[in-house]
Amino acid sequence: MQPTLLVAEDEPLMRERLLEGLAQSWPEARVLVVAENGNDAWDGFLEHEPDVAFLDIRMPGLSGLEVAERIGTMAHVVFVTAYDQYAVDAFDAGAVDYLLKPVQADRLERAVARLRSKLARPPADGAAMGELLRQLKSALPGERKERTKWIKASVGRQVRVIDVDEVLFFQSDTRYTRIVLRDYEALVRTPLKDLLGTLDPDRFWQIHRATVVNANAILAAERIDAERMQVLVKGSDEKLAVSRTFVHLFRE
Amino acid sequence: MWRKIADWYGKWEDEQIAVLERPELASQVTSGHRRLVYRSFAKRSEVERQQMRDFCIALKGWRGWFVTGLLLAAFTLCGVGLHLLAPGIGWGAAIVTANVCGIALMFALIGAWFNYRELVRRKFRLVLTMLVYALLAAVATSGATLWISDQSPAVVFDKLPRMLALILGVGLALAAPMLAIGFWRYRQHDALVEQLQRDAERDRLARELSESQLRLLRAQIEPHFLFNTLGAVQQLAQQGAPRAAELTANLIDFLRSSMRDMRSEQVSLAAEFGLVESYLKVMQVRLGERLRFTLALPRALEQVQLPSMILLTLVENAIKHGIEPALRGGEVAVSAEAIDGTLRIRVRDGGVGMSTLPGPDSGGGTGLDNVRHRLRLAYGDAAGLRLDDGAPGLVADVTIPFAQA
Repeated sequence: MQPTLLVAEDEPLMRERLLEGLAQSWPEARVLVVAENGNDAWDGFLEHEPDVAFLDIRMPGLSGLEVAERIGTMAHVVFVTAYDQYAVDAFDAGAVDYLLKPVQADRLERAVARLRSKLARPPADGAAMGELLRQLKSALPGERKERTKWIKASVGRQVRVIDVDEVLFFQSDTRYTRIVLRDYEALVRTPLKDLLGTLDPDRFWQIHRATVVNANAILAAERIDAERMQVLVKGSDEKLAVSRTFVHLFRE
Repeated sequence: MWRKIADWYGKWEDEQIAVLERPELASQVTSGHRRLVYRSFAKRSEVERQQMRDFCIALKGWRGWFVTGLLLAAFTLCGVGLHLLAPGIGWGAAIVTANVCGIALMFALIGAWFNYRELVRRKFRLVLTMLVYALLAAVATSGATLWISDQSPAVVFDKLPRMLALILGVGLALAAPMLAIGFWRYRQHDALVEQLQRDAERDRLARELSESQLRLLRAQIEPHFLFNTLGAVQQLAQQGAPRAAELTANLIDFLRSSMRDMRSEQVSLAAEFGLVESYLKVMQVRLGERLRFTLALPRALEQVQLPSMILLTLVENAIKHGIEPALRGGEVAVSAEAIDGTLRIRVRDGGVGMSTLPGPDSGGGTGLDNVRHRLRLAYGDAAGLRLDDGAPGLVADVTIPFAQA
């Protein structure tokens, strides 16, 4: 089977370099997603579900570490980083591959060789991955992320200031995001994939590529068949589909 | 017996030196009068204690005994001399007198040598005390003479002024060198203290300067910047793009001018704008469409001097914390302007802005701390750095006083 890849890197030349390198050393692999930032990487991952994700650690939007956290055991992750030795030590201890930037051909060859043999097996176990990500997060200097508290949205001719805690769910509507509250709903111009990174992931659960729901507003989740579920929301008649990727959220 | 005395004295010396080194030890001493003496040590200045300590150490152990022996021998020789000059005075009396006078003089001089600050501060009290003691001594001597001998009170009374003058003369002869030593040492002490303060201040400034230069150096050779830029050069070269040569030229420019900046304290605004331009050009090739920039330096301000690296730090900050984390990037605008005798340098970025400023513990704030620190070193409170919400992005303003040519 042809392996499928995702490449996320914010600097255009570094991105080209990695793509050209992959074309050379892994000609049978097919690149499904090329992302310039973390938000697009995660969105592209959900859309195409590639086998391997090459993630730059420092990117706008979601960082490479945050994307890897969300990918979990759904794919093999290779970090691409310019960080120095002390961070690399953390990688060496873990099960995750890494490439130092600028990526050199021989290093990439070796990583690809390892990936080829790994692809036969399922990705690294989740607990080890989670532990590694925690270590990396504390070892690498990070930006302090501000969580969005208020969202400005136009409703008719008014601009409403919406408290995110009162939002029942967010739903992607092509280039817009639909925000549904108890009494009304609003549209904002920001795509859902960009809103996602500014929301508290413990509070707002993504249940589908196009849906994020406030955990406090969930009434119940019901099974439709062996693979599919849907979520019932307090104060709304809509039933929200849970995609296969996120069914694990509702396992007892 | 002798051994015991020497031991006891040795211990006392050690204790004295220890207290001079660490005056807080004084309170641990049990003996009352020694504690009193040590308390007085604690009240002295650092320099005075140091001088006393040096003296104690120089005369510690056998050296002290040796010098004492030498002095006693010298006094005894003086006594012999006195007897030879004035045969009227007996051998014994001459030697005892010479020793008593010598030892008294020695103690007075050592006292003056080490108590000079006290001495100078209380010089009037000293002279007054001396006068009173002289008067008392004269009266007491006259009284004793009356009591012991059968001289008539009138004769004794006649002699009183002469005796008074003699005692006063001896007293003042003793006081004058003491005061002279006191004043001389006092001035020396002040000069020494001043010198020490100047040295400490100079050391502190030198240390701060080298620390800030070290921080700058570390910032320049950050792996992120150098490796990613070299990676971009490598990629362009592999593609055979003519931009490879241009990027390399800008990188060389940037590295050369930042090396120059690191060596000099003050640089011209024109040089700083040149440095920033080569940096932004490098970053533009790397970030592509996500970075746009403008530079505006009026010709009249080109030669204005300012501390090196300040402007670059602000621009690096704008890229690192403003443009790079922004999904769609933004514009960086660097400008200089003269407003009422102050120079205002503004770096505005259209990036993610205040809400994602690095937290105080993430290490990202050190660049700005460094700028503030260098401004304070160079201008005191006259210069400043101000951050404002640029909506979108951030505006960083540095204001520096300057004399308009």
